[in-house]
Amino acid sequence: MRDRQAYVAVKFVNGASPVLIGFLVAAGAILIIMAAVARTTIEPPETQAAVTSSGYRLRKGWLWGLGASAVVALAISLPSFPYGKPETLAGKHFTVIASQYSFELPPAVPAGTNVIFDVTSKDVNHGFGIYDPRGRLVAQVQAMPDYVNHLPLRFGVKGHYLVRCLEYCGIAHAGMQGAFEVR
Amino acid sequence: MSGPRRIMWAYLTTGIAVFGLMVLVGLAMRMEQARWLTYDPGSFYALMTLHGSGMIVALALCGMGGLWFIMDRERAMDQGLAWSAYALIVFGVVAVILSVFPGRFGAGWTFLFPLPFVGTTWPNWATGTFLIGVALVMLGWTIYCMQLLGCVLTKYGGMRGAMGWDLVFHHDAFVASGRPEPPPAAFAALITAVDGLFAVAGGMLVGVALIIHWIDPTVAIDPLWAKNLTYLFGHTFANLTIYMAIAFVYVALPRYAQREWHTSQVLAIAWWGTLLFVATAYFHHLYMDFVQPRGLQYIGEVASYLAAFPPAVVTIFGGAMLIYRSRLRWTMSSMFMYAGLVGWLIGGVGALIDATVPINVSLHNTLWVPAHFHTYLLEGVTLFVFGWIFADLEARTGLVSSLATRWITGLGIFGGGAVLLLGWYVAGAASVPRRYAEQPAPGPAIAAWASAGAILLILGLVVCLIEAVRLARARSAETAA
Repeated sequence: MRDRQAYVAVKFVNGASPVLIGFLVAAGAILIIMAAVARTTIEPPETQAAVTSSGYRLRKGWLWGLGASAVVALAISLPSFPYGKPETLAGKHFTVIASQYSFELPPAVPAGTNVIFDVTSKDVNHGFGIYDPRGRLVAQVQAMPDYVNHLPLRFGVKGHYLVRCLEYCGIAHAGMQGAFEVR
Repeated sequence: MSGPRRIMWAYLTTGIAVFGLMVLVGLAMRMEQARWLTYDPGSFYALMTLHGSGMIVALALCGMGGLWFIMDRERAMDQGLAWSAYALIVFGVVAVILSVFPGRFGAGWTFLFPLPFVGTTWPNWATGTFLIGVALVMLGWTIYCMQLLGCVLTKYGGMRGAMGWDLVFHHDAFVASGRPEPPPAAFAALITAVDGLFAVAGGMLVGVALIIHWIDPTVAIDPLWAKNLTYLFGHTFANLTIYMAIAFVYVALPRYAQREWHTSQVLAIAWWGTLLFVATAYFHHLYMDFVQPRGLQYIGEVASYLAAFPPAVVTIFGGAMLIYRSRLRWTMSSMFMYAGLVGWLIGGVGALIDATVPINVSLHNTLWVPAHFHTYLLEGVTLFVFGWIFADLEARTGLVSSLATRWITGLGIFGGGAVLLLGWYVAGAASVPRRYAEQPAPGPAIAAWASAGAILLILGLVVCLIEAVRLARARSAETAA
């Protein structure tokens, strides 16, 4: 069951990054709250004991809220971890070999079915980062010397996928690219 | 100036000097990415190596000096040892600089095996000089942590006393005994020392292995083993710069708020959590290494989440509670310290997002990573350090900077800083990779306005520096008179 879940479904997300929006909303809320707290220093002061008494109650609520958020985040994210046991990963395997400064890639992989990239390196650590036809990073795994990392995926969208190196690997790191088609 | 204060200022001024140099290096990198400057990729990656390793050591030096001074007042420490640690770290920094100028070593601060030895564009001596430089920094750090640990354990009655065990589990008896509880800063010192020694043990292992490989390339090293130990040291060391500097807030902010920041049971328990989670969160650096044992990936995410609780619920919340409806005097120091708490919290949100494995798949090694760590290093640790420096200057001179100076400094450091940081967040969300001398679109366009933000930030830093010098000179003139 767990290994079936390991396949990351590659699909398009429309519009602005929800991650960025979520972060900006949280950052804005923090700024507003902390600014409001700072502003109280120009109001009539209260004793520390009075502030502490109500502050500790608020802190308890903050702890519970944060704890509940963490539990929800873990409950959602843990089952979606992309790690699968290689011996139980069912699907067509494709070998990817990275070396300074190129990738040996399959020319094409099928859409709508489970595929597994078996990724390794001939020399140093590299990153096998897959960019969808719209230029968004949709999956990645490290390409390591002496090891093979298995990246299970299911492509929902056909097209031209660019591969970029995502682990610093030397002077031509920024130019290390490849590509494959999803048909 | 007394011996301990001289030690503190030696660490602080050296750290600030290295910090200033690294800020300029960082600006040169961002301007190259914006295509405002043109130089070859070899130079870019050499500068990147220098910036990453130099900046962490700069902030560590500042934290070390201040924390040493605070703990020395609790129990006097051997000044010779403090100078030895300082000298080793300075020699290490000089070696790292030499490996880059003129050596052009460019394997990154991460120096992931076998990159320092394969396909290199720099001479072999530069690799050795860099590795020896890092080893010297680790040696100095080891001496410092051992001295700090000795101080805390001796002063508060061993590990049991320093951890506040009786305060938490035998509270009434502890209070009745009249024994003083360790102040909050002592917890920062204890956790820095213990986690620092744990991390440096791993760092030394991989460092020595790499030096042996440099001498005899036939000696084999496992790349996954090396990667784990490199990040154990690098992540933990960088993380501890925050926990050292938070001691400054514990000590100085209450003075401005005219309130007390005492050790509670909750504070002690929070620091126990920090002790554990700071040492285990580094696994998130290896999320994309699928051969890493799966259990460690789970530990990475859980520990990264839990590491946020002590700061968010206790220290940052405690800081907000400390100033709420207080008679806080707003000065350069209190402004920096409070703003640092805000920066730490916001950067923490960015880090938590990145620490979530399914999200990390599309953020790992993008510019989202420098986005969040610059937030809590530049708008967190750095501000705590500035806050501490101004706390000392303001206390000794009795002078306070003008409102205009505070506004100009704030606009530069917070306004320019926000623009700079936003550039990384936006580019990271747009999948622009990090550590690229030449970035794909929209990287260069974003780098252009981020560079403008960086210039504004630097102007704020210059005003801040001029103000610090003005206060220091006022003190000197007063002493001479």
